[in-house]
Amino acid sequence: MTFLVNRLVWMVITLWIVFTVSFFLMRSVPGGPFHSERNVGPEVERNLNARFHLNDPLHKQYWDHLVRTAMLDFGPCYKLMDFTVAEVIAQGFPVSASLGIFALVFAFSLGVTAGVVSALYRHSWMDRSFMTAATVGIAVPNFVLASLSIMVFVFQLQWFPAAGWGTLKQIILPALCLGAPFAAYIARLSRTGMLEVMGQDYIRTAFAKGLSQRQVVVRHALRAALLPVVSYLGPATAGILTGSLVLERIFALPGMGSHFIEAALQRDYLLAMGTVLVYTCLLFLMNTLVDLSYSVIDPRVKLTSKS
Amino acid sequence: MSWSLRDLFPYIAAAACVAALSYAISFGTIPRADFTFINGTEIQSIDPSVVTGVPEGRIIASVFEGLYRLAPNPDDPSVLEPQPAMAEKHEISQDRRTYTFHLRPSANWSDGSAVTADDFAWSWRRFLHPEIAARYHYQLTDYVVGAAKFNSGDVQVGDRVEVELRDRLNPDQPFPSGTILPGVLEEIITGPVPEFDDDDDTRKKADARWRDGWVFRVQIKSEKDGVVAWDEPGTTYTFCRSDRPNSTSLSEKVRSCHLVLPHFAETVGIRAIDDRRFQVQLKNPTPYFLDLAAFYPLFPVNRRCVEKYGYPNWTRPENIVHNGPYKIEFRRIRDRIRLKKNPLYWNADSVRLNRIDAMAVQSSTTQLNMYMNGLVDWATDVPQSMIPELVKREDFISAPMLSTYFYRFNVDRPPLDNSKVRQALNLALNKRELCEQVLRAGQQPARSLCPPGMALYRPPQCETYDVEKARQLLSEAGYPGGKGFPRLEILYNSSDNHRIIAEVIQQQWQQNLSIADIDITNREWNSYLEDVQQQQYVVARAGWVGDYNDPNTFLDMFVSDGPNNNTGWSNAKYDQLIDQAKSAANPNQRMSILRDAEAILLEDMPIVPIYFYVSINMVRPHVKGFHANIQDLHPLQFLQVDKVLH
Repeated sequence: MTFLVNRLVWMVITLWIVFTVSFFLMRSVPGGPFHSERNVGPEVERNLNARFHLNDPLHKQYWDHLVRTAMLDFGPCYKLMDFTVAEVIAQGFPVSASLGIFALVFAFSLGVTAGVVSALYRHSWMDRSFMTAATVGIAVPNFVLASLSIMVFVFQLQWFPAAGWGTLKQIILPALCLGAPFAAYIARLSRTGMLEVMGQDYIRTAFAKGLSQRQVVVRHALRAALLPVVSYLGPATAGILTGSLVLERIFALPGMGSHFIEAALQRDYLLAMGTVLVYTCLLFLMNTLVDLSYSVIDPRVKLTSKS
Repeated sequence: MSWSLRDLFPYIAAAACVAALSYAISFGTIPRADFTFINGTEIQSIDPSVVTGVPEGRIIASVFEGLYRLAPNPDDPSVLEPQPAMAEKHEISQDRRTYTFHLRPSANWSDGSAVTADDFAWSWRRFLHPEIAARYHYQLTDYVVGAAKFNSGDVQVGDRVEVELRDRLNPDQPFPSGTILPGVLEEIITGPVPEFDDDDDTRKKADARWRDGWVFRVQIKSEKDGVVAWDEPGTTYTFCRSDRPNSTSLSEKVRSCHLVLPHFAETVGIRAIDDRRFQVQLKNPTPYFLDLAAFYPLFPVNRRCVEKYGYPNWTRPENIVHNGPYKIEFRRIRDRIRLKKNPLYWNADSVRLNRIDAMAVQSSTTQLNMYMNGLVDWATDVPQSMIPELVKREDFISAPMLSTYFYRFNVDRPPLDNSKVRQALNLALNKRELCEQVLRAGQQPARSLCPPGMALYRPPQCETYDVEKARQLLSEAGYPGGKGFPRLEILYNSSDNHRIIAEVIQQQWQQNLSIADIDITNREWNSYLEDVQQQQYVVARAGWVGDYNDPNTFLDMFVSDGPNNNTGWSNAKYDQLIDQAKSAANPNQRMSILRDAEAILLEDMPIVPIYFYVSINMVRPHVKGFHANIQDLHPLQFLQVDKVLH
């Protein structure tokens, strides 16, 4: 319990640091949210800035923004003017979340299966082909993979639609492309983990006692072999969040990644800040879950540092 | 505890997957639309007064309607012209400066109430209100008497003003406004002028705060039943926008106010004569005023709706009151906007499509994929590299457009301060090669700033490609054979297309003029705009789309210190001609004056025109009523789908 409280405190501190750094970074970039090719004239610009308090001194803006964010009032969007930041995130987050969950689940299941099979049948043709595919998967960027799969699956085989969001068919291809590099990495990790575990004494004992290979692998070896994979899930989430930015554009998915990029490019300070904070929370949460899961998976690990 | 958690783990994971799956497919349960098209970027707002983009225009023109609307000419559908919409007819005074619009009896809002002249007067006042800060304000401030004064909040001693007290229902919403008191401005006490920093940004902020602290002494007049007793004496009060006036040595009580503006009814030439008649007074005869009235920034919004819900809540589908052919069924950010036919629209019988989906897709490649895949019926942008392939197709529709691609020269920076150098650079550009080898969609090389195709106007032509002459001019300017020519830098906003064009031009200049030192550099859009507007460039890429079908929209840019000039170029004769054209009554005479002005521009060459855009659309054969035109506007209410071919 103290572990969780500890983590919560650290999360708040991290969020505050991220907020401050982002705030000053965003304001230091040239251009503002109300720049346009058609120059509006000083009065209009002054009025626009006044409406959004951009004329106030910087430290006052910072403090106002911090206080309102702490009260969970993320403010209006400068560019998607009909919506508040909270509404935009509320619409975009579930899309990115489901995409991310699919991609992770796919990466996890495919990766672990491939890795375990490779480890058990080391040096066989299965092992070699899986590991080669894994290397390719890690090396090829996900948008290249996306273009190739669109060419094959959308236009040649016509199994999936080209873009958009709403039906099961539309989510499979983006999830596959997003998850593929992580599946590859997880395959390699689980293979290594599995190999290491299979050489342990207690596995030998299990075999000696007469358990079948399947029982040994699933009941005893798998858990320990998954440790490196689980610890990778934290960075994998980060990777999926950033990887989804490009894929959301390619497949026209209305997720948070699109909002984030556009907010940055359009200098929509409040929306950009909102998405940055959400991402920070997410990553922090994921890392905490990963740490928690150690104690679940491996009974040797204790969460507190008392022992 | 950990025992149960360990066992539950896979089930929690499974539950998360099921939740994700059900969410992902929940969108798919909506019925398919009759017509789907790609609208480009997600629109900034559906409020006509605050946006400037083309995607916004498409949606706004479907949901709202103005006095007139742009519609295809029945005899020649490739020409868009203003046709009566909310107004059924109009009258123009003898001096061509007063327009009186008669509203159609059957014009109504979606809540059943009639559209009145007062709706227009209120909407246009809101459009001009400084707090709305409309970017397209020049659609009115350039033409209507007193509009610029009201919009800039410029009050002088002796003016009739209106003071808005600080008693708004919601202080953040300009409407409904607080109590407005009419009066005559007696004095402005500005207080000591603060020290201004060199830095542009802090200076602007300090300036804004200083202005907030001004104190206004106003003699408030009495008002009864909407009639102000201007000639009777009134009572003098003092007002200030800020709690802390600049001048602290005042003895009387300073009241807080939101704004002190020129009195609208007394200053601006916009009024509702009665329920059905709406009158506008222009500064000069403006032959294209109906085009302006048919363009979306001047479309009305419903006063009761805006005042009740405030911005942005009034734009929500459940709240919005509108008068156009379509209503918004739902909006999904960066996914789609669904439009549904409005049965209360006065011309609802002519609207064929029931449900339309406007998808927000940014990537041109994804657009093309979706079009080829049959997901959309009309794509508005395709990747440049695919154009040579697509040009051969039947469904590829391209037409000349009222927009020009050009390069700006920073004429304050040597060697570009010498007009001979600028002319040489123009002569050394093989624009035809650029259009035919690089762009390949039918773009035409540009020898003028104004594109062809505007009625009654034939633009003058600048010199065409001539390497010999270019070299000669360069020697005359002091750089024989390109020797000693300082470094040139071409700035463009990040995009593959602009980069390719810049590279070709760089190569042409290097080859033809033997200029060794030319760099190309790109910036992301906002940074690029900043650089151009601050004149921090040497040569910069630019594009301009005409707002209305008249050369003034292009030529107006380059008056001295114009906000869209950005080149440092200034020519008194040019300014004079542009101004003269505004008040010319005879259309032919006016075009001739504008032609003379453009001739000066092309002679002096602060900009080098490169090519005229072509609009590119891909439209499925079962879509009817789609006609290419120079403004590339395709109002949705005129489209239909042939069910047989679909």
